[in-house]
Amino acid sequence: MIQPQTYLNVADNSGARKLMCIRIIGASNRRYAHIGDVIVAVIKEAIPNTPLERSEVIRAVIVRTCKELKRNNGTIIRYDDNAAVVIDQEGNPKGTRVFGAIPRELRQLNFTKIVSLAPEVL
Amino acid sequence: MASSTGLTVAGALLAGDFRLSSPIPRKVSSSLSCLNNQVLSPPYNCCWRLSGGKILTPVSNSRRFAVGKEAEDGFLSNVSEDSDEMFDELFNKYGKVVYRSDDQKSVTAEVDDDAESLAFAVELAKVASEVKAGDIKVLFVKPLVYWTRFFIIATAFSRPQIDAIGSRMRDLAEKKYGRVANGDVKPNAWTLVDFGDVVVHIFLPPQRTFYNLEDFYGNAMSIPLPFEDQPPRRS
Repeated sequence: MIQPQTYLNVADNSGARKLMCIRIIGASNRRYAHIGDVIVAVIKEAIPNTPLERSEVIRAVIVRTCKELKRNNGTIIRYDDNAAVVIDQEGNPKGTRVFGAIPRELRQLNFTKIVSLAPEVL
Repeated sequence: MASSTGLTVAGALLAGDFRLSSPIPRKVSSSLSCLNNQVLSPPYNCCWRLSGGKILTPVSNSRRFAVGKEAEDGFLSNVSEDSDEMFDELFNKYGKVVYRSDDQKSVTAEVDDDAESLAFAVELAKVASEVKAGDIKVLFVKPLVYWTRFFIIATAFSRPQIDAIGSRMRDLAEKKYGRVANGDVKPNAWTLVDFGDVVVHIFLPPQRTFYNLEDFYGNAMSIPLPFEDQPPRRS
């Protein structure tokens, strides 16, 4: 359940460290975002000497949430952190590798590029 | 201990019976070892009713588990007399005795699927080669990731060329194999076309070196292609 003002970790090597959600893309007055949703975020912390800088506004896909993700077969997936992958306007990831486990639902939501850069898919 | 003996007896005798009495038959029969006594009790009773015409010793579950080994012996000895008949009867009534979940494929079926995917992937690579894509690679990634079998990685040198490769691949897949692709529709610096078991990545040259996908999947087996001896064309 990501909403504006939520801080997220960055699960890729794009150079950003921490994001703050400022808007959820989708319906006009959407309250919460979940795994696979695109958000507009501002970079709150970044690694020095990387293309991305602090206070830059970017788009990101949520890949992990503390809120449980339920599947039709009864499986429930819950991560320890909220994390997102930085993407550009075309949907290509800004980093070249994704860290940590990501759920397979991202593939159904047409984020197969992120899935193919990830080391582990749940 | 007592309950576990009860479990095995019920499982051995009533593989066909689970289908009848349980609300979700496939799951119950495939995960017998996970069942507890409560789940087991309805088919158990059913067994006694089915074979009751001959045995006629209706014992409650609790007593059965308390008596344990003794009860099991008695039960088995009685059953051995008419077990064949009972099995025949059950088989005639329900057809199959053993159920397996549908997602477990035999080894041969798996190999057949792999071969089919390989033929499809090579065909797509040929299409890419016809549209003058450079540095085409087909990787067998099934041992590394579970979600697909083959990656095709190709370089295109302009967005119209990416569009041409993508649309030709989609056409071929739809006409010849009846498959519909997911993924990017518009040409993109990294265009991905997802056919399920074959995933096609078409890059512009800078993006190909940036993402370096071959390196990430370096342990995957590279499939030799029939047209590979031709040098890649560069504009």
